[in-house]
Amino acid sequence: MKEVKVEVIGTEPPCMRCQATRKAVEKAAEKLKQAGVMVNIEKANIMSKEIVQKYGVLVSPAIAINNTVKIMGRVPNSEEVEKLIMEAAK
Amino acid sequence: MEEKTKRAIRKAVLLAFFIIVIGLLIYSRVTAKPTKETFKDKLSAFGLWESPLLYVAIPALYLADYFSHAWICLLFAFSVAGLIYEFVPKETITRYMGRGKAVGYGLALCMAPFLTVCSCTMVPLFGGILYAGAGIGPAITFLLMAPAANILTILMTGEMISWEVAGARIIASAVVALAAGLIVSVTPWGKAVEKEFQVADSAAGSSAKVEIVKPPLDERLWAALKFAGYLAKQILPFFIIGLMVVGYISAFIPEEIVESYLTGPTGILIASVLGGPLYTPTLVEIALGQELWNKGMSKGALLSWLMGQPYDFANAMAVSRIAKWKIVATYFIVAWAGSVTFGFLYGMLSGSL
Repeated sequence: MKEVKVEVIGTEPPCMRCQATRKAVEKAAEKLKQAGVMVNIEKANIMSKEIVQKYGVLVSPAIAINNTVKIMGRVPNSEEVEKLIMEAAK
Repeated sequence: MEEKTKRAIRKAVLLAFFIIVIGLLIYSRVTAKPTKETFKDKLSAFGLWESPLLYVAIPALYLADYFSHAWICLLFAFSVAGLIYEFVPKETITRYMGRGKAVGYGLALCMAPFLTVCSCTMVPLFGGILYAGAGIGPAITFLLMAPAANILTILMTGEMISWEVAGARIIASAVVALAAGLIVSVTPWGKAVEKEFQVADSAAGSSAKVEIVKPPLDERLWAALKFAGYLAKQILPFFIIGLMVVGYISAFIPEEIVESYLTGPTGILIASVLGGPLYTPTLVEIALGQELWNKGMSKGALLSWLMGQPYDFANAMAVSRIAKWKIVATYFIVAWAGSVTFGFLYGMLSGSL
């Protein structure tokens, strides 16, 4: 079983768009579980030193897959997230 | 093949929508006739001034009147804000945000209007700029510039009041935001915060990367439209409540009061004080300013009033969670002084003090 780390980077407390993003990721993870891909979802605070140090300035909400920011400043749908995670799992 | 056709159709429909919205605005400008009749004439025409229904009729008729003039403009402003937000190259901007002071100030001034139509993205970006090495100065500049001159505000100011006032608002806001950033960055408390938050070698050396994936055009257009809808959902409820209040103000505040208190040097001082701490939801300050201007407020006072937006309390609260209260107080004072100064300047230049 392959493992993929997905960071959902948003504001703390989460704004509406960050919550929507998280839901999309969760939905994608649920589907991928059946395809044999294990998705570890981590919630990250866009304002924390660690995240800024790691990725620089970001626009919320952002998604990083295996330490690479793939999406920022928009809410993706779950199919798109699914595709991105699948690419990372290959 | 089928997928391809579907995408093409979606793309065409969405493009058509945006073109129609832009076309509507142009059409409405070309064919615009100045309407003399206001909602107050309607109140008189229906004999509502003496009626017990007056207090219901005022907000209802005011809203109807306002939206009958402004709906195209609102639709346009929200659509364009959505489009710009979606298509502005966010990753390019954020990549350069951390590259030193001068670049930071420049980007803060030029990009704040496009990146931040909602407070949800504004405060995180403020934090990001602060941490990533540009420092407190550009962060403050960005923070003041964003609400003062975002794309929604400017479009609505231009269309509903006048493009001259909108232009003055952009220039004045930029100067004040830059001044506030520069001043805060040399204060001892500004330097202290900068030191505290600076991270060494941001993003360098780690395995982390930023590789933004671009979805196809039809999805981006759809995302733009969705973001426009999201903005409308966030802003319009408060805007409508605000407009109702503006309706009462318009109906009951006599022109003599506006003419005597909101003109001349005192007018600018009063407008700048009222415009700031008095929290007006986004876009309501434009409607109220327009109404007061019609009642005789000077252009100088109007500019001071509009420039009050960035230093209202809601904004200050969000920032004081990251920065110290001394920083908030410093930029409050600079922003206030700036709005008074530019009120005077614009009043004198436009001959309407």
